[in-house]
Amino acid sequence: MTASLYEPFLEATRNVFQLMLDLSDISDQPAEEFVCDDELDISIGVVGDLVGEVIYRFPHTTSLGMVNIMSGMEMSSVDDFVTSAISEIANIISGNVLTMLAGNNLNCDILPPALRKPNDSLEYTLRTACCISTSIGNVFLDIRLNQA
Amino acid sequence: MLWKDKYELGVSIVDEQHKELFQRVDEFMRTLRSSASWDEKVLHVNETLEFMKGYVVEHFRDEEEYQQKIGYPGYEAHKKIHTDMVNYVLQVSAEYESSGFNEQLMQQFGGKLLAWLINHVAAEDQRIANYAIEQGVTGVDC
Repeated sequence: MTASLYEPFLEATRNVFQLMLDLSDISDQPAEEFVCDDELDISIGVVGDLVGEVIYRFPHTTSLGMVNIMSGMEMSSVDDFVTSAISEIANIISGNVLTMLAGNNLNCDILPPALRKPNDSLEYTLRTACCISTSIGNVFLDIRLNQA
Repeated sequence: MLWKDKYELGVSIVDEQHKELFQRVDEFMRTLRSSASWDEKVLHVNETLEFMKGYVVEHFRDEEEYQQKIGYPGYEAHKKIHTDMVNYVLQVSAEYESSGFNEQLMQQFGGKLLAWLINHVAAEDQRIANYAIEQGVTGVDC
């Protein structure tokens, strides 16, 4: 079950990065590969057949690179504009994952993106994480879900 | 915010409107992100925002008419995406006005609009084009 959850997130991230950012050289790496000092943590809550949250961790350099590509403008800091654009991308990836999960009879909905660190005091039976590597930097995906 | 040929649907009026929308949103972003003070740019930001509110509604209506003409099966779902976006724009706009033109609200709006529009045109609208090609109805115009 955990593996079958991981694949849709990876595929959706790959699709969205290719379509929106024209990035095709995307690979998944072990979670331990992800090292970062300054990051943007975006939580997307999940409700329905699965309950919990997915944390997208974007290093500042990755965030700025993504918004630079989309806007055609040079962004120098992770401000409200950049944070909002990256939050929307996390929202779009998660929305695509829901469509894939629905094809496997898992019906879920997502909550609006929220800026927050994961709550480590909660227990999850479906837990996995990975580092997605791209030419403009890495993204860390932390999936924390329970079956309803 | 660059227009790319891969975004074209092959429906002239929709493609022209998309290009216009990209150009207007780009202008909006450049004003929003310029190094000028908020007081200096707020008037231009407000003018562009007003234009976009009207233009987005007009464009969505034309695109929905086209979907109905070709019998696009995803019409209802696509219309809901449009309605949700229009409601979001109206809600932010109202909040922005009542806040006395708060810059933070507009920066957040600009970031979301940037990502939303690229995804909508590159992904959601391409499904309409794919359907039109499959059905052999690419010659139908709005």
